[in-house]
Amino acid sequence: MSRDRLSLPALIGVLIGAAIMVAPLIWTLLLSLKGNAELMRDSATAFSAPYTIDNYRAIVTGSLVPRWLLNSTIVALGQTAGVLILCSLAGYGFARFEFPYRRAIFAFVVIGLAIPEQAVILPRHQLFALLGLHNSYPGLILPGLVAPFGVLFMTQYFRAIPRDLDEAALLDGASRLTLFWKVLLPLTIPAQATLGVFTFLGAWNDYWWPLISATTSDRYTLTVGLASSQMNYAQTSGLGFLMAQAVFASVPILAVYVIFQKQIVRAMAGTAVR
Amino acid sequence: MTRALLMLLALALAGCGARDDRTEIVVQRFFGECGAVYGQSIDVAKAETECGILTTIINRFEAENPDVKVRLNVVAWPGYPQLAAQIAAGDPPDLVTMHQSVISDYAGGGLLEPVDGLLAQAGIAPAQMTDAARRGVTKSGRTYGLPIDTIGRLFHINTRLMRQAGLMQGDRPILPGSPDELLRQARQFRAATGKPYLLQGQVAAPDVNVGNLYTYLLAQDAVIFPDARHVRLATPEATRIVNLYKQLAAERLSPLDQDFSAAHNAFIGGQGGILATGTWMIGAYDEVARDPASKLHDSYTVLPYPRLWGRAAAFVDGHAWVVPKHERGAAEQAAIARFLKHMARYDFDWTRTGHLPAFRAILDRPDFKALPHRTDIAAMAATGQQLPGYVPRQSAIQGLIGEELEAAVSGQKPVDQALKDAERRVNELLGEML
Repeated sequence: MSRDRLSLPALIGVLIGAAIMVAPLIWTLLLSLKGNAELMRDSATAFSAPYTIDNYRAIVTGSLVPRWLLNSTIVALGQTAGVLILCSLAGYGFARFEFPYRRAIFAFVVIGLAIPEQAVILPRHQLFALLGLHNSYPGLILPGLVAPFGVLFMTQYFRAIPRDLDEAALLDGASRLTLFWKVLLPLTIPAQATLGVFTFLGAWNDYWWPLISATTSDRYTLTVGLASSQMNYAQTSGLGFLMAQAVFASVPILAVYVIFQKQIVRAMAGTAVR
Repeated sequence: MTRALLMLLALALAGCGARDDRTEIVVQRFFGECGAVYGQSIDVAKAETECGILTTIINRFEAENPDVKVRLNVVAWPGYPQLAAQIAAGDPPDLVTMHQSVISDYAGGGLLEPVDGLLAQAGIAPAQMTDAARRGVTKSGRTYGLPIDTIGRLFHINTRLMRQAGLMQGDRPILPGSPDELLRQARQFRAATGKPYLLQGQVAAPDVNVGNLYTYLLAQDAVIFPDARHVRLATPEATRIVNLYKQLAAERLSPLDQDFSAAHNAFIGGQGGILATGTWMIGAYDEVARDPASKLHDSYTVLPYPRLWGRAAAFVDGHAWVVPKHERGAAEQAAIARFLKHMARYDFDWTRTGHLPAFRAILDRPDFKALPHRTDIAAMAATGQQLPGYVPRQSAIQGLIGEELEAAVSGQKPVDQALKDAERRVNELLGEML
């Protein structure tokens, strides 16, 4: 595959743009490697040695950080798995089956895209309280499984797969389940990857629902836990620690991005749906 | 192998049988998490910072009360979304840190227990509290929390720059005694140093302008909230305060384009004479001033806001331990009372954070007076005033007034109009309250 070469002015423009984008990240990283007292005196010292990993040590040795990491991992993976399963099944159903009120039900699901989380958070909180689900993994995972975008996305993807494949498989004696599992689902892997990555990132970064559902320290996710670790006016007296927290929390996200870079770029370019 | 498994099973079952007979109380607080440094600390006198001192005080309570188990929840500041959620779910903690200005909202909704009985059980009388602290936790004649401090805004001063501007008398900064004198001194400072006189960090901080307004309205004995449904802001008293700050901004004597971080960095970098911010920064600035490499080295002091009109006054807030309403047994009540007594006992150590004490006796203690700058600001424990206890939604009100004041001070809106708009918007909000 050949790639077009950038002209020199374009290359310079891209490099300047990249530098502008990367500068805050480097600034954050440098600040995280400096002592809080030194930064309190002058934050420009971030550009010169000595550097220290004390802020990271303080995070890692914080008694509950490993627990918060585990909680975030369980919640993010749980939501990702749940969304992929439910949205794939729903997408397959909407794309391939005729059943009463199919269009109306599909429209009803898609309308969910227009309802902001804030609008339903109070009744949802009450419902979860009645069910005793707060401060539990199901309490943190279940709301994320309501994914109208995922249903829409997978439905469109299944619709784009030629029906000839279904007919050929059915003629060969495959059941509907076999058709779904062995023929169609493997063809949706790019879409699954895209939806999975975005769901994982959303679940990992979620703050509002975990903040009010997980109210005991041992059930916090990493975002809520790290926020609770901050002292007042952390931006002045604990700047290095604050920046180390930001870096620490973003490392798993960075890892996901590096691993699934191809899928994310394709999704952003709108090429995941054929 | 089988034997080993059986032994493990027996051990596990034995573990299941061990019961914890201690009385459990759930304590919820903000101020950050510092378990890595202070997780095992019980020497309160050696602890530093809000988080370190409070963590150590709580650790010590557990060490001294082995029959009480404290389940600690550290919440993200200020923790009210979580508290509201816990109350809605019927599972509130037993003790919670709360700003005194927020108590009205929860007490008014019947969500907090009055603690008069618990304080009596702990041997604490409201008369032992400072005026500011007592007022902060008293709503409708009842006490709704144990105050632990009084916090308020102060003038943090770079004495080297003030000396350069000829605004020092010996070791004491010369602060103005009237609005005209303030403007005169600010111009003199600017002419001598080329730097702004007053840093405030006003961007995205409605509390700055509102704190200034409330402080100087209280100084003029103005009635800000005549009742729970109305605010009075379109007044000559308020107009002259806002005009003063507008003039300071117009002449660039007080920059408008700084948030708190920028103002803080400017102050410690020697780029401004005075930083108006809270009691909580005293310890941090004092430490910076002791560093020979700092531009604030040996050049820091702190004083209450100058008396520009009427009497000495300060708009203040404070922190308190409150008890959300919930059914509790006698053992839990007794444990809570012991916890409150313990917190009161260590209130001096809490004042090492920079906050003023909640108890009068501490103000007279030699060790309190020996803390840096405390004798200079101790008067605020008496002159400090909160809004009346019947005023609900104080934080939301602050946001509304702050928006209008920002528009007025920056010249985007005439001062009279901004104050009228602020009054109307707050009255609309209060009118919607049940």
